[in-house]
Amino acid sequence: MTASMSQCLMQMVQTDYQMSDYQSEIAPRWCAGCGDNAILTAMQRLCRDEQLPPEKTVCVSGIGCSSRLPHYMNAYGFHGIHGRALPIAEGIKIRRPDLNVFVTTGDGDNCSIGAAHWLHAIRYNMNLTVLLHDNQVYGLTKKQASPTSPKGLKSNTTPYGAALNPLNPLSVTLGVANVSFVAQAVDWIPDLLYEILRKAHQHRGLSFVRVLQRCPEFMGHRFDDWVRDPMKMRILTHSDGLRLKPEVSRVYKNQETHDPLDMPRALAIASMQEEIPVGILYNDPSVPCYDDLRAGERPNTPALVKTVLDEEFDKVGIWPDSADPAGSTE
Amino acid sequence: MQHTPIATGNASAPPMSVAPLRPALLARYAGLEELRYDYPLVLTESMDGQHLFRPLSRIIDNVLRATATPGPAGEALRQQVLRLEMRIRHAVAEGQEGRLSDLWRELSADLIRQSGEAPFGPLDTNLDTARRALKVDGLVIGCDAGTPGKVLTHAWEAVHAERARRFRKRVDGLILRLSDILKSDFMKSDEAHGPKALESAMGAHRDGSVDFGALSAVLARARPEDRIPNDRVERIRKVLAVLKCQPFYAPGRASHFCANRRETYSYTFDSCSAALDALRERLPDVLDFTKALTIAELEVENKYRAELHDPIFEQFDESDLTSDQMGLLPSSLVFLRDGVTDPTEITRAFEALASQLPITILIQTDDILGATSPEPPRASLAAGTARLAAMAMGLNNAFVLQSASAHLYRMRDRLVGGLHFDGPALFSIYSGATATAPGIPAYILSAAATESRAFPSFTYDPTAGPDWARRFDLSDNPQNDVDWPQHDLAFEDAIGQRQSESVAFTFADFAVCDQRYARFCHSQTRVEWTTTMVPVCDWLKETGAAEYLHKPYVCGVDPDDRMVRIVVDDKITEAARRCNDAWRRLQELAGINNSHALKLLADERKARESAARTAEPPAPSMVPVADVQAPTPVVASTAIDGPEVTPDKTSDDGPWIETARCTTCNECTQISKSLFAYNENMQAYVADPDGGTYRQLVEAAESCQVSIIHPGKPRNPQEPNLDDLIERAEAFN
Repeated sequence: MTASMSQCLMQMVQTDYQMSDYQSEIAPRWCAGCGDNAILTAMQRLCRDEQLPPEKTVCVSGIGCSSRLPHYMNAYGFHGIHGRALPIAEGIKIRRPDLNVFVTTGDGDNCSIGAAHWLHAIRYNMNLTVLLHDNQVYGLTKKQASPTSPKGLKSNTTPYGAALNPLNPLSVTLGVANVSFVAQAVDWIPDLLYEILRKAHQHRGLSFVRVLQRCPEFMGHRFDDWVRDPMKMRILTHSDGLRLKPEVSRVYKNQETHDPLDMPRALAIASMQEEIPVGILYNDPSVPCYDDLRAGERPNTPALVKTVLDEEFDKVGIWPDSADPAGSTE
Repeated sequence: MQHTPIATGNASAPPMSVAPLRPALLARYAGLEELRYDYPLVLTESMDGQHLFRPLSRIIDNVLRATATPGPAGEALRQQVLRLEMRIRHAVAEGQEGRLSDLWRELSADLIRQSGEAPFGPLDTNLDTARRALKVDGLVIGCDAGTPGKVLTHAWEAVHAERARRFRKRVDGLILRLSDILKSDFMKSDEAHGPKALESAMGAHRDGSVDFGALSAVLARARPEDRIPNDRVERIRKVLAVLKCQPFYAPGRASHFCANRRETYSYTFDSCSAALDALRERLPDVLDFTKALTIAELEVENKYRAELHDPIFEQFDESDLTSDQMGLLPSSLVFLRDGVTDPTEITRAFEALASQLPITILIQTDDILGATSPEPPRASLAAGTARLAAMAMGLNNAFVLQSASAHLYRMRDRLVGGLHFDGPALFSIYSGATATAPGIPAYILSAAATESRAFPSFTYDPTAGPDWARRFDLSDNPQNDVDWPQHDLAFEDAIGQRQSESVAFTFADFAVCDQRYARFCHSQTRVEWTTTMVPVCDWLKETGAAEYLHKPYVCGVDPDDRMVRIVVDDKITEAARRCNDAWRRLQELAGINNSHALKLLADERKARESAARTAEPPAPSMVPVADVQAPTPVVASTAIDGPEVTPDKTSDDGPWIETARCTTCNECTQISKSLFAYNENMQAYVADPDGGTYRQLVEAAESCQVSIIHPGKPRNPQEPNLDDLIERAEAFN
C-alpha cells in the first residue's frame, strides 16, 4: 500500500518541536520539591519525542494540585470541575478522535468525588491517557485525608489519625470490566515514569497510570524509605512491557518478569505492601474501545443533523391542507 | 478424413424442432423444474456484501432448519414449504419475476386455495410460520438471457453503495472538521460577539428582558492575532464548496445545501465509447475534487503550507491521480452484448481494459459456437467470443473473470472481488440462451459449456500476487486436471438390466445440442452400432490410420430417451481439437501439466538415471543436509549485563548530579540558577561548578528530594565554615 498523496505532502512539512514548545508562559506554581514537576516533565518529553502537535493535544483535569497541570502545558487544556475530568475528556475524544487527550487527576479528585466517573471511564475504555497523581493527601487545601491516605495519618480532618484503610486505585481499576491498561510509576524514577507514560500513550484504549508522588510539604517523609532503598522498588519488566536501560537496571536490581496479560499476578502485585511495584501491571490491547464501537457510519455534519431532526419532526408534524410536506422537507 | 454420411434411413430427415438429439449425460436433467439447483437466484436486498445473491433452495433450507422440528408436524411443514418452493420454481421458469416476499404471498394463497383448506388452517399456519423465518428478500430470477446483466448490475450496485458509504464517511468527516475550523474562527470575531449574533442565539422567544447591546459590550473584544489568516479562510471555503457540491455520489441521507449542486453522474453505460467519453468529460471535476480532498486533509491536520503546497496544486493534473484517490470515486459499469452491441466497440473495450481507469465491462455472450458457413454471418464482437477473456488476460492489468451463467453462484466471491478491483475489469459471461438450441434450458446449456471446456470458468486477478499461481484460478471447473470430465452414465440395456458406463463430456457433446450442427451429426440406433465406432474423446487421441478407420461418436438420447450413438463429422471434431488445445493452454497457466515443469522433470529424471548408472552407490543425499550448527539464538541479554556506563561523575572530585534521576522539582535551581541548570529533558545538571558557593551546593544536596546531588570537594578553600560544610557534604559524596 503506497502512502496517499496527502500523507506525502504532509511529510514535506517538517516539525521539530522542542521541550520549550510545550512549556507555557506560566511557570509551574507547585511547591519546590513537588513530584508533580517530574510528571509534567515526563509529559513534555513524551510530546516532544512523539512530536505531538501542541494544537492536537489536550490536557484535561479536575481540581487539586495535580489538576493545575494543563496551565503549565502549552497545548489545549480544560481545567474542569472537581472529579469531572474524565467525562469532559470523553466528550472531547468522541467528538475529536484526532486529538491526543491526556487526563491529569489526583487521588482526591479521582478516587473520592470522581470515583463514579472513574469506574465508568474504565468500562468505556476510550482512547485516553489517564495520569493519577497520587500523593495520598489533599494538598491544595493544606492537608486533609484523601481516600488513599495511609491509616493513622493525622490531618486537618483526621486529627486523631485516619480511621480507615486506604483505597488501592490499582486493585480497583483492575477489577472493573473492560480494563485494558494499568500501570504504576513513581515520580522519583523519571526514566521509568517517562517509559511507562510512553507505553500508556501508545496503547489504544484507556491507559490508567497511577503515579506515586511525593508531597514534601504535607506528607514529609512518606516515601523516604523507598526513595532511598532501590531494593524496595519492584520493577516489572517484560518483552511486551517495560525494558530497562542498563543504568536503571544497575540501580534497581529488584526486578520481576511479569506478563501484562496475567491478571491474577497483576492483582497480587497491585496489593503489595512492603515493596512498591513499578511497571505495567496489565495490558490487553484486544479490549474494544467505546469510541470505535460508536464511530458512526457517517459523521454528524450540520447537514445530516438538520436532515435527521427534520425527519423526526415531520413524523409528528401536522400539515395544513395547503402546505406540501414533501416540498418543505427537501 | 471421413466425410461420408452413414447410410441410415433418417440421415436426410429435416431437423426436429422440439427436443432434438441430446447428449446422453443430459438425459437425467429433463425435468429441470423438479430439481433443486442453483436457480432461481434471489438477488438479496441486504447490502452486506457477503451474500449478494443466493439460490432459492439455500434460503428455503435455512428456513426449514429454523422452523421444521423433527417429528410428524415438522415433516408436514417441510413438505408444504417444499411444495411452495416448487411452485415458485415453476412460476419463475414460466417467466414470472418478482420479489421473493411477493411471490411467496401470491403463490401460497394459490396453494391454499387449491388445497381446499380454510384460511388460518394448518397449511396457512405452517406457511406463515415459515415466512416469518424468511430473513432475506429480493428479486427472484431464473436462468435466461437476462441473467448475467441482472446479477452483475445487482452486485455492482451493492459495491457502488458500499463505496458511497466509504466516500461519505471520509468526505463528511472532512466537511465537519473544516466547518469546525471556520466556526471556531467566527466565534472569535466581533460579529459573533455583536448584539445581533447574541440576539439570534437566544432563539425565537425574545421578550426584551435582555439588553444585547450591553451584553455585547461586556464581552471580550476580538483580538486580530487570534483570527485565522484570510487566505486560509478563503482556501477552506473553496474546498468546502467543492466537497459539498461533488457530483460523484448522491448526498445520501443528508441534503447538502449547495447552490450550484449538479445532478449526480450516472456510471452505467451500454457502450465503452460512451463510458470513456464520459470519463474524459468528467476529468476536470475529478481533478478539482481530488485537489480539494487533498487540501482538506492537509488543512485538518494543520499541515498546509502555502509556500510549499501552492505550487504543487497549481500544477496538479491527471498524472498526479493516485489509485487511492481513484478508488474513492465510482467505477463505471459497461454492458456489452455479443450480437447486439456494435462490433467496433470491442476495440474501445480493449482500450479501456488496457488503461488504469476504473471501468467494469460485462460482455454477455449468448452463442459461443458461432455460425456455420451457409448461414449469414452475425454482427459478432469478435471472431472468438469465447476467447475474449483469455485475450484480456494478455493485457495483464485488468481483472478478468469468465464464467457461464450456471456457475455464477459458485464464482460469487471472485465476482465481488472483481467489482472491488480498483482498475479495469472484464466479466465475460455465457448466458446459455442460445436461440439455435431449442428444448434445452439455458441453465443446462451454460453448464454444458463449462463441462465441455467450451467456456471454462476462470479468473485472473493481477493484485492477488506476483505470479501465475496466485493470479490465475481454474479450480472452478469440473475435474480440471483432465482433458474432458468423466461421468457415470447409467442406462437400461436391451434385456432390461441396469448398466453403467463411464462417459466423457466433450466439446462434441456440447455441439450436438446446437441445431446448426445437426448437419454434421448422424444418429445411429443400437442395431446400427459397429465396432469401428469409438467415443470422441478416444478418437481425438488417435493418430495415423486409426483416425480414418474409426468413426467418432457421442452417446446421445433421442426424444424418447432411447440411447443412440451420434456419429460426428470432422467439422465438429476439428472444433473439439481446437477447444482441447485452448483448454490445455489454460491448464498450463494454472500449473496443470505445465510443459516447462514436465520438461525439467524429464531432464532431471534422465540425469539421475545416468548418474545412477555411472556412480556405484548413489550419493547418500542429493540435498545437502544442513550440518551447520544452528545459530545460537540471540536473546536480548538482560539489561544488567549491559555495558558499564561511566557515571557523569567528574574525576576531580567536583560536584555532580545523577541527572537521569532528577525529578525536575526546582529545589536546586531555586538555590542557584547559575550553578544548576536543566538539560533538554528538563533534568538538572551542574552547569558551572564555580557558579555558586560550596554552601549552596551542600544545601542543594540536602534539600534534593531524591538525594542525587553530590557536592564533591570544595573548590574555593577561602570559603567560610568549610569544615562544617565538608562534614555535612559527607553524607552525599
